[in-house]
Amino acid sequence: MSSEVINTKRAKQAATGPYGKVGHALNELDDRLGVAKGGRTFLDKIFPDHWSFMLGEIALYSFVVLLATGVFLTLYYIPSTALTTYHGSYLPLDGQRVTEAYASSVNLSFAVRAGLLMRQMHHWACDIFIGAIVVHMARVFFTGAFRKPRELNWTIGTTLMILAIVNGFLGYSLPDDLVSGTGIRIAYSIILSIPVVGSYLGFLVFGGNFPGTMVIPRFFILHVLIVPALILGLVGAHLFLLVRQKHTQFPGKGRTENNVVGTPMFPVFMAKTTGFLLVVAGVTALLGAFAQINPIWQFGPYEASRISYAVQPDWYMGFLDGALRIWPSWSFHSFGYTIPLEVTVPAVILPGILFNIAYVWPAFERKFTKDFAMHNLLDRPSNRPKRTAAGVAVLSLLSMLFIASSTDVIANFFHLPLNQVLWGMRILVILSPFVAYPVTWKICQELRVVEGGGKRKTTNVVTRTAQGEYVATAAPAYVDDVHAELEASEVPTFIVDETDEQGSAGTRTVDR
Amino acid sequence: MITTSLKRVGMLTIAGLLVAAPLTFFVAGAGAQGRVVYQTTRKNAGTPNSTNVTTNSSGVVISYGNSAITYNAPSPKLASLGQALFLQNCASCHGTEANGVPANGTSGAFPNLVGLGPATIDFWIESGRMPAADPRVVQAKRRPPRLTSKQAVAIAAWVNSLAPSYPDIPTPNLKNANVSDGAALFALNCAACHTIEGDGDALAQGTYAPSLRNIPAYQVVEAIRTGPGNMPRFTGNLSDFQVRDIVKYVTTEIQHPQNIGGLGLGGLGPVAEGFVGLLLGVGILALVGFWVGERQ
Repeated sequence: MSSEVINTKRAKQAATGPYGKVGHALNELDDRLGVAKGGRTFLDKIFPDHWSFMLGEIALYSFVVLLATGVFLTLYYIPSTALTTYHGSYLPLDGQRVTEAYASSVNLSFAVRAGLLMRQMHHWACDIFIGAIVVHMARVFFTGAFRKPRELNWTIGTTLMILAIVNGFLGYSLPDDLVSGTGIRIAYSIILSIPVVGSYLGFLVFGGNFPGTMVIPRFFILHVLIVPALILGLVGAHLFLLVRQKHTQFPGKGRTENNVVGTPMFPVFMAKTTGFLLVVAGVTALLGAFAQINPIWQFGPYEASRISYAVQPDWYMGFLDGALRIWPSWSFHSFGYTIPLEVTVPAVILPGILFNIAYVWPAFERKFTKDFAMHNLLDRPSNRPKRTAAGVAVLSLLSMLFIASSTDVIANFFHLPLNQVLWGMRILVILSPFVAYPVTWKICQELRVVEGGGKRKTTNVVTRTAQGEYVATAAPAYVDDVHAELEASEVPTFIVDETDEQGSAGTRTVDR
Repeated sequence: MITTSLKRVGMLTIAGLLVAAPLTFFVAGAGAQGRVVYQTTRKNAGTPNSTNVTTNSSGVVISYGNSAITYNAPSPKLASLGQALFLQNCASCHGTEANGVPANGTSGAFPNLVGLGPATIDFWIESGRMPAADPRVVQAKRRPPRLTSKQAVAIAAWVNSLAPSYPDIPTPNLKNANVSDGAALFALNCAACHTIEGDGDALAQGTYAPSLRNIPAYQVVEAIRTGPGNMPRFTGNLSDFQVRDIVKYVTTEIQHPQNIGGLGLGGLGPVAEGFVGLLLGVGILALVGFWVGERQ
């Protein structure tokens, strides 16, 4: 009875159906979970090929590296401020009383196989992560990709940037070394400077006065669980919206507001993006292997009575540190209260304003330009002189604040008096946006009228005739400038229909 | 007329500032004048109060110290050579009496050297800061010494003969030094200016804490014990044994740091790291993206 149905090889093959074992397995999965429709949408998701769309991927993949290396680090790191006597392989620390957090950080660098590589990769990946976020954000801003319908994704992205900066700072603090301890001290002071609630908030975060014993365990759980969970969730939302709303694209031949031109997820983009993931991991690994970052064993453990000069935060906190450094020491003492404006203004109000500008910009621009239309085609930055100029002005302000965070290093390196550097940076910070805006605006105006501007230039081919005469002729357009298939092609929507599986692996155009 | 006089006033102000600035840094040193014995609160702080004092037949201290640091007085026989060298190299500013009054009589413009002790004189000459390349600079720069070690000791001998004082020229013995204690003491006492990696950094108004990367051990002791320029003079709060530990840490871990993580990036810390992370990290990855992506 049953034996004649199943127990032959042929019967098994017949049971797997015409799609082979993988196809059969997928069919079985689809029967139960209905993955075919969503999977098809996903595999057919069109990615425009422009290189600037890879910037966000650097951020995504360095986050993957962060998660992987971070998990490794949690296996060896002890989040405790309990004191212990260091007896490890780094002799200059031998016998010193240090916290468990510091001792375990040094031990995982010296005594754990690949521990230092993982720690350095984690730190480099963090620097790259936030750097890529900023560059990606700049691309989105200057090309107007944040406009309707993508305002929500811009908001999520801005939140992601802030969370990344916060988590970077938290992680930087965990080794409890001299330099990071100083950073926590500054963070505590910044919290204290918040009017009215500052001292309560400081006690809430630190579980008492600085430094206390709670800060490392609390920062740890924030750093490894709460903030990463938020980031992960928001990255999911960011990518979901990206798929849902489809990519923007630069204007070009065959590209309209109503289509997307690019390569589909499967197989072209999947290969490309997987390769890119490996390149990001590879570059991070190279940096981790060959470039030393944050040598905490040289810094020694943090003690409130110790301080090192020439201490800067990681680069993404630089603008905040710079603002703190150059702000004049204006504070008021009255009615028994201290109003520390020299901390509140540069470290609380200024970043508050800057981040809020980022949040409200899409609404601000909508209101200002009265442009409520849907935008799927990107702007060439020079065609939006005011927006571009405003963006460059803010970026130059941030850059100057960033540079101001290393006044001492600049003074020492160039043999300048520190006070002159400080005053120079004060002037540059105030001046830079006012110079950057009109200069950028003017450059944009000029670029708009340049013939062939924004188009890829073709070379001139110079040939010498037999008579010795030179003739220059324009080379034909690049082959890859001309898209082979720009008419909207049929995209298969049902897996069962075999005849639809002829979709090209090359560039494809689909309606939105 | 008016403009020239204004100019002159301006020049005078600048000159005054330039002269006054170094002066303020030597006030502490000048204060030692008149005191024959270098007073400290702790026994082993660079003075002959410590146990192993050797004197010559006429009762003059030749050397003193302990197993950590030995302080040797310059030989009085060198004093005459020292005076000749002083007149040749130093007297144009410090005066023929080494009292800070040069021939043209601008009293107070240059430091009085009388009673500063041999270690101070030796440090300034052997670190190449004196004779000064430019007497008007706020802080003399370390450079290859113009006088030999023996000449420096000779000058120290002559200046010391005017008013005998301490500390004498130290020789640390690093054999039994505890580098870990040295690291902790360095973080507590030195890192606030010289930075925890010993690179040094800019301080206020054109002064700076110099880098410690290339300094011989005895000069580290001299600097700690005499407090050159802006640097505090560490006497009572650091014993000779603690100074020795610091010197050990400076001459080993600071000068030859264990950069097991790869390139040390100049020890500049997050500034260099930020550049590498952004330019090399994000830069290379953006270039790869540019390479695999479409450019139009």
